[in-house]
Amino acid sequence: MLHSSVMPRDRVEMPDEPPPFLTTWARVYSVVLVYLVLLIAVFYVFTRYFA
Amino acid sequence: MRSLDWLVLCGTLVFIVSYGLYKGRGSDTVNKYLLAGKTMPWYAMALSIMATQASAITFISTTGQAYVDGMRFVQFYFGLPLAMVILSATVVPRFHRANVYTAYEYLEKRFDAKTRALASAVFLIQRGLAVGVALYAPAIVLSVILGWPDRLTTLGMGVLITIYTVTGGIKAVTWTDVQQMLIIFVGLFIAFAMIIRMLPDNVSFLDAVYLAGAIGKLNAVDLKFDLQNRYNLWSGLIGGAFLALSYFGCDQSQVQRYLTGKSIAQSKLSLLFTAMAKIPMQFFILFVGAMVFVFYIFERPPLLFQPIAMSELQSSAARQAYLPVQDRFDRAFEQRKQAALALNQARHIGNTAARAESLDRYRVAQKEINATRAEGAGLFERLHAEKKFNDTNYIFLSFVTRYLPAGIVGLVIAVIFAAAMSSSSGEVNSLATVTVIDVYRRHIRPDATDHHYLWASRIATAFWAGYAVFFAQYARSLGSLIEAVNMLGSLFYGSLLGVFTLAFFFRRVDGTGAFIGMLAGEAAIFGAFWFTGISFLWYNVIGCLVVIVTGILVSRVERLRKNPAAA
Repeated sequence: MLHSSVMPRDRVEMPDEPPPFLTTWARVYSVVLVYLVLLIAVFYVFTRYFA
Repeated sequence: MRSLDWLVLCGTLVFIVSYGLYKGRGSDTVNKYLLAGKTMPWYAMALSIMATQASAITFISTTGQAYVDGMRFVQFYFGLPLAMVILSATVVPRFHRANVYTAYEYLEKRFDAKTRALASAVFLIQRGLAVGVALYAPAIVLSVILGWPDRLTTLGMGVLITIYTVTGGIKAVTWTDVQQMLIIFVGLFIAFAMIIRMLPDNVSFLDAVYLAGAIGKLNAVDLKFDLQNRYNLWSGLIGGAFLALSYFGCDQSQVQRYLTGKSIAQSKLSLLFTAMAKIPMQFFILFVGAMVFVFYIFERPPLLFQPIAMSELQSSAARQAYLPVQDRFDRAFEQRKQAALALNQARHIGNTAARAESLDRYRVAQKEINATRAEGAGLFERLHAEKKFNDTNYIFLSFVTRYLPAGIVGLVIAVIFAAAMSSSSGEVNSLATVTVIDVYRRHIRPDATDHHYLWASRIATAFWAGYAVFFAQYARSLGSLIEAVNMLGSLFYGSLLGVFTLAFFFRRVDGTGAFIGMLAGEAAIFGAFWFTGISFLWYNVIGCLVVIVTGILVSRVERLRKNPAAA
């Protein structure tokens, strides 16, 4: 958590809404990271298979 | 270019500008002009972010790169999803809540005026150098391939972006980016379909993929860690993540895109969508280049794809040395073609011995082709006393103009225009924003009306568009300086990332620490650039770490100096 002393002045209240799917942002981030791992795995298999 | 090509090209450009003017209506306050009144949906921001990042040269060069070097460049983007997750979780909410127009405005709220001024200056120098090149680079390629005067091309593109960017501000820029991105997708898919259709009848799509892979063109992942190797999994994941953090977290041309979001959630979604779409998109562009390579296995390519270089080699002065090289190239081409057909046949009938033998011949012939191309390039270099001749940027457009049918050529040229205009308009818009918010309003006229700043923003936008065109007009005479300018542009991100990391995560670091840290970070990056062979993707890591360490140390010394009892 960021210390209050480093918060900029003129701060406006903006709620951090939940994502439209998967309920929490942590889950959305996890999906993105799992997607990255899968993508690299698929590209690796692609590289090996056609080499 | 045939009449149908001109019709498609002009129709596309008129549509883009008209659409920008239409969508940019009502930008009558500074907030609406620079931040679209914070009304943008996630998909528009996402496509705008992708369009701003993808310049014309990205499309021209990336396809050529796959032809020459294979698909390993895709690894450069592996760090992007990591960076986007970090930015969505940390930076996006803070920028939104800080209620800022620019990323650098945040630095003054967190540190002090001098840190903001330094970061703004770094951005203006870096982007100011790049904005003209974004217009010039595709113009020079079009001038060589199609014979268009490059000055007229840059002027034309500059006028078009000025019309909608000055009038409609970021709303016009974002919505035209959306259209431009869609045009780019459609153009690339059609070009890809045409390439596959033009392969010989006895070569299927899967055969083509196999032939590209057998020669090492589908090398999408390289697991070997090597600091000197520009593209491998690790430089992509680590160096690429740092570069993406710098670019999307500290560069106003990107930050401004997601500051226009109607909510924090919409801005986060735009970045996460970009993270998921960008890698497959780059993979596809590279794959198009690999398929162009396969096409040229069966259709004789020129020795060099740069037409002016070829005609000079064929001229009397260089002809004696050129003819034997061309002869060897032609023979190697025939050998490669026969070996590829034999390999294909051996695969289909399952003859392992014949397959191994033809694969060997195929690879040997490719080596000979590479060697003769290098010799041809060497001849041209000696003829012109040039250091590095590279025809990568000419491969795709040379293919398009020679082999694609009327209408499709116009569409692909429209793609090049769309990409150049989308990245330039985004850069012009962000340069104008920093000029007005971080320089004019902060240091010159702090207490003027909203209407005054709106007009100042319009004038600044027109100024930067004019500057981009002016710079592009004279870029040809700068010669190899352009490369230096491009290189210099990539030397500033590490220190910007470092100072924002200090701002967000190190509460005890003060303004002086951040300022000196930034200077030290820049010194470290330039040191790495001049004195080491480290690949440029690592500069951001080095710069960022030096800024953080120096910032912490200087702040600690400052605290001790002011309050020795704290020791």
